[in-house]
Amino acid sequence: MSDAAATLAQDRQKLEMSALSAPAVIFTVAMIAFPVVYTVWLGFQNFSSTGKQSFAGLANYSRLISDYEFWHGLWVTIALYVLSLVLQLVFGVWLALVLFHAKRLPGIVRSLFISPFMMPPVVAGMMWLVILDPSLGAANYMLQSFGLPPSDWLASPSLVIPTVALIDSWQWTPYVALIVLGGLQSLPPSVYEAAQIDGASPFKTFQRITLPLLLPTIVTAAILRSVDLLRFFDIIYITTQGGPGNASNTLNIYGFRVGFEFFNIGYASALMLTLTAIVFGAVLAFNRLRGAVAW
Amino acid sequence: MKARMLATQVALPMLAIAAVSAQAHAADFDWMKFKGKTVTFLANNNPVAQALLTYKADFEKLTGMTLKVDGYQEQQMRQRLVTVMNANSDEVDVFMTLPSREGEQFAAAGWYGDLTAIVKNEVAKEYDPAGLSQALLKAATFGGKLTSMPMNIEGPIFYYRTDIFKKCGIEAPKTIKEVEAAAAKIKTCDSAVTPFVSRGLKPAIAYTFSNMLHNIGGTYIASGKSNLCSAKGKEALDTYSRLLRDFGPPGVVNYSFQQISALYRSGRAAMAFESSNELRTVMEGGARLKDTGLLPFPAGEAGQVPTTIGWGMAVSSHSKQPEAAWYFVQWATSPEVQKKMALQGIAPPRPSVAKDPEYRKWIDEEPVRKEWQAALDVLATKGSSEVGYPIVANPESREFIGQAVQDLILKQKPIEQACADADKALDALIAQK
Repeated sequence: MSDAAATLAQDRQKLEMSALSAPAVIFTVAMIAFPVVYTVWLGFQNFSSTGKQSFAGLANYSRLISDYEFWHGLWVTIALYVLSLVLQLVFGVWLALVLFHAKRLPGIVRSLFISPFMMPPVVAGMMWLVILDPSLGAANYMLQSFGLPPSDWLASPSLVIPTVALIDSWQWTPYVALIVLGGLQSLPPSVYEAAQIDGASPFKTFQRITLPLLLPTIVTAAILRSVDLLRFFDIIYITTQGGPGNASNTLNIYGFRVGFEFFNIGYASALMLTLTAIVFGAVLAFNRLRGAVAW
Repeated sequence: MKARMLATQVALPMLAIAAVSAQAHAADFDWMKFKGKTVTFLANNNPVAQALLTYKADFEKLTGMTLKVDGYQEQQMRQRLVTVMNANSDEVDVFMTLPSREGEQFAAAGWYGDLTAIVKNEVAKEYDPAGLSQALLKAATFGGKLTSMPMNIEGPIFYYRTDIFKKCGIEAPKTIKEVEAAAAKIKTCDSAVTPFVSRGLKPAIAYTFSNMLHNIGGTYIASGKSNLCSAKGKEALDTYSRLLRDFGPPGVVNYSFQQISALYRSGRAAMAFESSNELRTVMEGGARLKDTGLLPFPAGEAGQVPTTIGWGMAVSSHSKQPEAAWYFVQWATSPEVQKKMALQGIAPPRPSVAKDPEYRKWIDEEPVRKEWQAALDVLATKGSSEVGYPIVANPESREFIGQAVQDLILKQKPIEQACADADKALDALIAQK
């Protein structure tokens, strides 16, 4: 077969393969694109309380600027995000180190520690709602049995964000630990041997070798958790519904209520697209950071 | 207020009675008319729907139709309904609705099928639409159109522990002031129990708060403006929040019916103001069966104006088979089915069922059931279905009522500011078209 004929046959094969995969590709793109395009379109619509629809232009977006609940929701979202992410990264790395060095029954220890994130968030929320109930819950019972004063936990405007952050961290720290554990297992043993020969202490080894080498893995974990944390919904919806008052009213909870309880789908779409832009921004920032710390 | 109550309790129900009494039972009514069809029912997985769906097979046998049930928790059901109705979809034929909450909104959006004519012309001989609670039929009528048929009757009632009252030497309270006095006495007499509990969760507050506002003599709207900063409005806000702050459980701002029932059932609350529907939950295990007394909420300066609502069944305006859908609604709200549901503890919206010997026998088995029925009788005769603002944006109005109460419970604002902030937001809602 001449070269020209071979090239022609290869081109035809590529064309056939493209044609065969086209339906699946078109279907997948449509499934992703349609909801996004539809939401963008809804963001330009005005829905009255009676569901009547009209073109609103940028009115939904300009309303965001003067909407106190939006700015409050943004603040709550960011506060919850930062607090939860810091807790999960710090304790996730610590847990990964514990699991990495576990010598006895490592399989059982790992299964036990990672079990919380296997639990559906709704179940976790219900469980913690019972535990943290100020009257009937086990948490206050334990505090009081140690002579400490009881706490209002989820019912206190000043404690609700740290409490929700703790619940989420209880559930998702093992997930971060699992990612970091994978990173730990892939670190080259030679650098540790060199550090041992040089007489480095365990703390110095962690500070100067383990942590810098783990940074790309930690940033990856941060990206994955950021996407979830900025869209925080289920545990808050189960435990506080945004309360007390609006102390835990994240943007996602606020958008849900505007859309499905007050039926203003247009404004809810604008809120959700703004939240999506924030999530994208956070992911892009972490992606750049990952590039900077790669080795 | 009095003129309005008169209109609500006497004149309009009479008109409704006249309207539905003028029915002409179709002589050739045939339950098998739509044999082979499938009716889709969007249901709230609450005790009312659960009791009804126990008899799903009976409906299918009677009509030859298939009943497809699409069941969700309450908020998720609304979420599904909003999606379906905004898409003008015929996926749902019949749905459950709370006229007191979303009635104005759904009616204005055109989501309810008009049942006014069909309830006169396409009914079985035994259906007796005039036997349904006229207050609830009136509450489901918007712009002269009947939009849903009542499935049950319910409202917040006052649960109290007779043993604790006896131990502390307190009589059952007859007024709101006596409730507060009783709570203060219980606090010193038995520090192990929470003296009083009611709803403190923001979106849930309007259900119980409305009863107190109306008993005190307040109104939500006066001269087209929000009225929470009126003297009566402030008194209601202050009394409700003070009762919960001073005598309620810690964390009461997260309390809705689940937490209240759990607290009372466990014996850790002396008084609870909660839905009549919770009787079955509260009595689970039997611990509270012999030491609970039940009353409508004690009177204020305007007497007793209990909150009375009920779940309704509506036919979707997008249904392509509204007549078949109506057959299901008719069966579900018929005297026979409502009697069966009543025997499962679902308070019947038909006075005739409440007087039925078999039902009376069930009621008479326990003194607490007798008190429950007596309280429901007061709800049925004196009740107001106004829960939150009687405007299209009713669900949103409940947020601002709840916010004002929570601000006071948590001492985040003085009452002048709490009510003024709420009035400002609510005036904007009232002005919405």
